Amino acid sequence: MATMPVEVVSAERHVLTAEATELYARSVEGEIGILPGHQPALVALDTAPLRVRTADGVEHRIAVHQGLLFVGTDRVIVLADVAELAESIDEQRARARLTDLERRLADQEDAVLRASLRKQQLRLEVASTGSGQV
Amino acid sequence: MAGSGQIRQLRRRIRSVKSTQKITRAMEMIAASRIVKAQRRVQQARPYAEQITEVIKGLAVSGEVREHPLLTLHEQVPRVAVVVNTSDRGLAGAYNANVLKVAERTIRDEEAAGREVDLFIIGRKGDGYFSYRGRRARSRWQGISDTPSIDAAAEVAQTLMDRYAEGLYARVWVVYTDFRSSFVQLPVRMELLPVKPEEFAGGREIAPEFLFEPSQQQLLDRLIPRYVEAKVFHSLLESSASEHAARQRAMKSATDNASDVAGKLNRVMNQARQDQITTEISEIVGGAEALSQGA
Repeated sequence: MATMPVEVVSAERHVLTAEATELYARSVEGEIGILPGHQPALVALDTAPLRVRTADGVEHRIAVHQGLLFVGTDRVIVLADVAELAESIDEQRARARLTDLERRLADQEDAVLRASLRKQQLRLEVASTGSGQV
Repeated sequence: MAGSGQIRQLRRRIRSVKSTQKITRAMEMIAASRIVKAQRRVQQARPYAEQITEVIKGLAVSGEVREHPLLTLHEQVPRVAVVVNTSDRGLAGAYNANVLKVAERTIRDEEAAGREVDLFIIGRKGDGYFSYRGRRARSRWQGISDTPSIDAAAEVAQTLMDRYAEGLYARVWVVYTDFRSSFVQLPVRMELLPVKPEEFAGGREIAPEFLFEPSQQQLLDRLIPRYVEAKVFHSLLESSASEHAARQRAMKSATDNASDVAGKLNRVMNQARQDQITTEISEIVGGAEALSQGA
């Protein structure tokens, strides 16, 4: 099966290097799927889960905030301010922060808080499905 | 008798020096392990910064970057911003003093050129320094310089970018300490804003068959702030590694000094003890002599 090297890099660290067969993400304009041999592209990503499926059938799920997807002729790079693998997300802490944010948003509407709320929701969503065989 | 009191005092001082030494040694070892961690974080952050610069360069070849608000020059504005990276905690040798010296020089230069300076201070030490000298900071952040996160860097960068885009500043300086090695850390200043078009020069043009989503121009608009954030993050990480290195060195010399002091005090104490014994013996001998003569 054809594969493509995929690298996920966040501002703080290198998150994932894999030989992938499929990659799915959500851009600011809609869902996008990348297979090996895709047309070169540069796509701004939404705050959404990123799924990378490798040749051995494992699917890595990654929470991506404010990212950029670069599809070159020989590689795929995901650059994101924050990118977290499902298994490295602390679900309890995310939930605690979510409740805290919801409480604060109930008092007063705030765009920044709303954005962090969205982040925590995404982290929880990614963490609950997790990576694994498909 | 003076001898025994002196000895007791010396013992107490030796004990106190030794317990201080234990503390400084612990701090030295903690700092040493944290340098390694901080250095690793500097390295881990590098790929992102490099890749994002690459992509911007590629986009900049064909797109027009000059129009971005963060690249617009405001040369005539008589005001600049200076961001100073200091630590929250002391006991780091000359770390804060050195970076503050460069900050002072930058402020002096700008004021000599007739521009006002807005201060943005990271770290409690810088805050204390400037408020003591009667300079009010525009914004200050505490608790982020020890182990900086990208979120903290993004917040600092956002504050600066918003104000720059409003046309409030001719320039934004960032003063931080560059970590060259465990032995050499150099306080430096970097011009964060405006972003200069040359920083994006020399890129390989992105092939025309590329699919852009959204448009090339909108992508650039999204990426340039990320680039500024990465630069702020880099300055925070370098400063943090330097802080730990400075602290390690300061604590190492404190530990060494404590050994010296304890050694010296020990010698003085031994001498005093010998003196005391000698005195006691001669007193006993003298007393016995007096008794035998009286008999």
